[in-house]
Amino acid sequence: MTSTGTVFVALLFQVENIRRLTVVFAMLALIATIIGFSLGGAALTGDMGGMTDPEMLGLLWSTPVGTALAYRLVGLALLILGLMLGRSGLWVSAIGGGLALWSFASVGHIPDRDIFWLDGLLLIHLAAIAVWIGILTPLKRLANISTAKAAADLGHRFGRMAVVFVPLLILAGLVMSYVLVGSIASLVGTGYGQALIVKVAVVVVLLGLAALNKLRFVPKLMNGDAHAAQHLSRSISFEWVAVIIILLTTAVLTSALTLPS
Amino acid sequence: MTRPILTSLMVLWATSAFAHSPLNATVPANEAIVAEVPSEIVLGFKGNIRLTRVAMTHAVHEADLDLDGFSGFISEYTIPMQSMGAGTYQIEWRGLGDDGHPMSGTFSFTVQE
Ligand SMILES: [Cu+2]
Repeated sequence: MTSTGTVFVALLFQVENIRRLTVVFAMLALIATIIGFSLGGAALTGDMGGMTDPEMLGLLWSTPVGTALAYRLVGLALLILGLMLGRSGLWVSAIGGGLALWSFASVGHIPDRDIFWLDGLLLIHLAAIAVWIGILTPLKRLANISTAKAAADLGHRFGRMAVVFVPLLILAGLVMSYVLVGSIASLVGTGYGQALIVKVAVVVVLLGLAALNKLRFVPKLMNGDAHAAQHLSRSISFEWVAVIIILLTTAVLTSALTLPS
Repeated sequence: MTRPILTSLMVLWATSAFAHSPLNATVPANEAIVAEVPSEIVLGFKGNIRLTRVAMTHAVHEADLDLDGFSGFISEYTIPMQSMGAGTYQIEWRGLGDDGHPMSGTFSFTVQE
């Protein structure tokens, strides 16, 4: 997710020097993907031997989890390959990143796989999140006194784009929540609904931080305020914390809790 | 910064997968007290599942029940079992839902003297 986001950010904002960082993220994602899949095998046999049991892994492979694994592996491989190709490979990376994101759409508990537009919505949602996460590291890196000008510039351009895609992100989230949860009663009364409330609350905090960055710290940075860089950097750290909580809640939502029916 | 995310996601992935409760009913029922050891047990699921392991524990004995006769994703399993005499039998099952999520659960029944 993070590596895809960094690639998207690189494409959108022409950020340089992110290749190594992105490769590291992508490699971590590859390893985590493979370990995650073989942990599925262990869950089936109840012991660690299941992690390499060909029968169990073959069984997993035959389900949507296997399909998602294939998408994610190919996607991440393309992403890394694209990065090796230099600047012209960015598009290859972006396609790979898109594929890796798409893999998230094919698992989880979205009940009716026939609703195609719901998948589309989910993909938009994921891409917007990826861009958001992707901007954090480059921005935080730039946010020190010597490169304050570049940070302000990047932050400013990101902020202008965010005005368009953040509402889209929220709208997509709202529509999906409505389709999945269905009623206020099941929002308040089920574990799924409650986890969703937690997630939305943290998202609100994140949006608050982002607004603070956009409306206060980035403009101050543009005016050459030395403290603004520190503030921006700290604010981004808090954003990271919020992002992690959101990702964890989402993991619970999509795998542990069953949908209210 | 990424390492804690990845580790927690992985831990979640591994544990949370068990949160489904897809078992409809079993024969003998959970915590039932029966007169003699059944020759087979029945596990009925709400959806289709592929059982991957069924372990039976009786006093100090532990044995895996034979699942070789089954294939594909089905919702009802009738599994032969061997008698180990009176006492409490604990059955632990593991399987894969057709959405790809691993599931597991336990139930037990007691055979009277
Ligand atoms: Cu499931």
